[in-house]
Amino acid sequence: MAETPLYVGIDLGTTNSAAAVFDGERVSVVRNAQGATVTPSVVRIDKQGRVTVGTRARRFLEQDPSNTAGEFKRLMGTDKAIEFPAAGAKKKPEELSAEVLKALRQDITDQLGVTIDRAVISVPALFELPQSSATSEAARLAGFSRVELLQEPIASALAAGWRADEDATGTWLVFDLGGGTFDASLLETRDGLLRVVGHDGDNFLGGRDFDWAITEHLASLLPVVPSRSNVHHTAALRALRLAAEDAKIELSRGERAQVALAQPLVIDGQDVEVDLELTRATVERLCAPLVDRALEVCTRLLASNGLAPGRLARIVLVGGPTVMPFVRQRVAARLEAPLAEGHDPMTLVAQGAALYAATAGIDGRAVSAAPPSGRQVWLQYPAVSSDLTPHVVGKFVGPNDSGAPAKIKLVRSDGGWSSGEASVAPDGTFLTSVTLLPRRACTFQIEATGADGKRIEVSPPALTIVQGLTIGDPPLSRTLGVALASGHVQVYLERGAPLPARRTFTHHTVETVAKGSKDSVLRIPIVQGEMSAAHLCRLVGTLDIGGDAVKDTLPTGSPVEVTIELDRGGRLSARALVPTIEQVFEHVAHLLVPDAAPEALDSALRDLRRQLMDLRTDAFRHGLTQVIEKLDRIESRLSEAERDIDAAHGGDADAAQRARRALLDVDGTMAEADLARKWPELDAAARQAAITASSTVGFHGTDAERTLLQEVLAAMDKARKDKDGPELERQMRLAHRLSSAAFNRTPEAWEWYFDDAASEISRSRDLPKAQTLVKQGKAAVERGDTEELRRVVKALWQLLPDDSEARKRGFDSGVR
Amino acid sequence: MKLAENPFFVLAIAPDASRIEIEREAQKLLGMLELGFEAALTYATPLGPRPRTAEAVRAAVAVLRDPYQRLVAELWARHAPSTLEAAPAVTATPSAGLRRKLGWRP
Repeated sequence: MAETPLYVGIDLGTTNSAAAVFDGERVSVVRNAQGATVTPSVVRIDKQGRVTVGTRARRFLEQDPSNTAGEFKRLMGTDKAIEFPAAGAKKKPEELSAEVLKALRQDITDQLGVTIDRAVISVPALFELPQSSATSEAARLAGFSRVELLQEPIASALAAGWRADEDATGTWLVFDLGGGTFDASLLETRDGLLRVVGHDGDNFLGGRDFDWAITEHLASLLPVVPSRSNVHHTAALRALRLAAEDAKIELSRGERAQVALAQPLVIDGQDVEVDLELTRATVERLCAPLVDRALEVCTRLLASNGLAPGRLARIVLVGGPTVMPFVRQRVAARLEAPLAEGHDPMTLVAQGAALYAATAGIDGRAVSAAPPSGRQVWLQYPAVSSDLTPHVVGKFVGPNDSGAPAKIKLVRSDGGWSSGEASVAPDGTFLTSVTLLPRRACTFQIEATGADGKRIEVSPPALTIVQGLTIGDPPLSRTLGVALASGHVQVYLERGAPLPARRTFTHHTVETVAKGSKDSVLRIPIVQGEMSAAHLCRLVGTLDIGGDAVKDTLPTGSPVEVTIELDRGGRLSARALVPTIEQVFEHVAHLLVPDAAPEALDSALRDLRRQLMDLRTDAFRHGLTQVIEKLDRIESRLSEAERDIDAAHGGDADAAQRARRALLDVDGTMAEADLARKWPELDAAARQAAITASSTVGFHGTDAERTLLQEVLAAMDKARKDKDGPELERQMRLAHRLSSAAFNRTPEAWEWYFDDAASEISRSRDLPKAQTLVKQGKAAVERGDTEELRRVVKALWQLLPDDSEARKRGFDSGVR
Repeated sequence: MKLAENPFFVLAIAPDASRIEIEREAQKLLGMLELGFEAALTYATPLGPRPRTAEAVRAAVAVLRDPYQRLVAELWARHAPSTLEAAPAVTATPSAGLRRKLGWRP
């Protein structure tokens, strides 16, 4: 602890990667063996099985494309293996990412002379769980003992905010256009705390698409036009694309660039000479629609947070494509805000990751095995604090041979300050606070004295706190829950929940799990997504309780306590406790991102097209202009997806993944459009809900409930005015919750529930049991025993079935 | 939001606490919980003492960082009576049938 800390951050990018270190006061970017600050994320494996990474490998993309791989980050989390025929090797995307991480780790050792063991690695904000866990796996393969994942936009904002003046308060937009993904994040700094207000993005929009747009333009100028759906044209297109990439970079400075290849391309057996000219204006025309797509995401993000353009304090640009002058101008003009100057868009993310490592207290160096000398103390303090006077909490542990410490004092190493003497409680605990110097790393010596006033040596002897920007716990980017047999989702952790987080709910089984039977498996599907219907969310894992694993047969309706836990980096673990047999199941089958077979994509596309037609006919018939506009947007997304599916037929696995995502998104948007179509119905339901809630809460609610209802009603009015279906549904749920809370307090509530449940017992799973319960319930009503009645009603609810159609939509969930 | 989970109770701070104070107290409580300080294990509410967990502290801070959610939490904390007779814990959601009776779509 006596030496300066070393915090390491790594930006593992789609096209380029970078590493940075932070020593508590300065951030520096690590240079690789070629002296560059960025390392291309390209891996080559030659005949002898030798692995080359970075610039040297990138050169072979053109000469030896089949043994050189790039852009594997976009395949992370899939089981797509990448082949290197010369070496006869097959590598998974995470193994290739591990090679890049190894190279960066070596660069750090070369430059700083220390081996690092722990680091923070950035991932796109919209990475799903399988993609995040593949990244952790890559780090493990690269020899890191501990890594934390950090969302890229938070990293960029942290790096940009760190250097800003202390009075730089306000709302920021981070516009991160990377090689393969686009992220827009809205952040706010106030009182030295950086907070993520919201983010949005497009997991499949990046500089790569710029290159493809230019490549396709160039290809169309050739006498024989190569096509992305033809496997035999892949090599020619690749060569053309690399040339396009170079031309694009050249055009960031000049007005025109020559695209000439030393060797002619071979297309369909013909030699095709390539000698074309590309102007800046052409590139701008080709790329403008892509930039606009990114800007659309930004305006949507601003609108959903109630922010007009022009209200932003600053825009931070991140990523290679944002170096292009026309991109910068277009973004600044459209969002009416100044761009933050003086940041390196290529390494900002790595710098932020290094700063974050400090806030999380992850020192990069391997933990030394030196035996501690002196009395051991466990300390708890913030490694980075925006607060100038943070608390330090500690506890003395271990053998008590040198006498119990009675007093403790912290002395700042510059000699300018020391804490008063704090007393140590009999159980060895103490609580004190320190004073920091602004924007500096401060080290404090720990001076402990015994009851006799003698100094006691402690281990560690000192602690270091950096004064700077603190960051809120990383928020969860997508809502996480369990799909139920009813086809709905029980939300466990809401989007935006601070990580790490843990939540437990009790479910009940909907069918019997017979002991010893292999075929009877109770499935608990874990899903991620914002929709309340399970089939519109993504299945990310399942927790299975198999008949071959249970100690005893589990009858229908057995309680199952499910706990879902996410660590700071978004790693998922889940546990199911079945109290009746005292057994815990915790093996989560992590799902890979589903394989996107071109044939399956074709049929999904056909289905969506048909649905779209139906919706459109209907919308025209009723003259719903808003719906028609929405459907037009869907139409254009589908056409884009179709192009990608074509490329997927040509063997482009990345395009296939992209198409799969696009189709899933369209499915969600379609559901929303459907909602808009049902607007009149929804509107009427909302009015009714408002009336009922007002009267229930008015009669039975508390003051606070009444105040809250006023707010909900105002929000409902606004949603009705904006014709915002999902928002209206959300507010209706809130109104409903308030009035149920009020209603449940009334004595007649449970009688009402009881009548309702009793009227449906003919559908129950166990009629005799249900009849007994109804009898008990009637007796309870007569006695006026609300406690008992509540028990009966709950037991009755357990016996009422869910329909099988719904269950299928809930990923065959076995719980309710 | 349940009264007993009000972030101001969880963090044992006044509803007019400043942002810095909130962060400072939360960090202290997390440290104390990590080291198993007896004093940090429960917090006082009008409904009696409740167990305090690190998750609850983190969730409380997250709520108070959001200006709108903080406003709601302040409202509840300010209007809370000093003690309440133990009200029955009502958490169940009504069945779909009742929802229909109350006039909502299922």
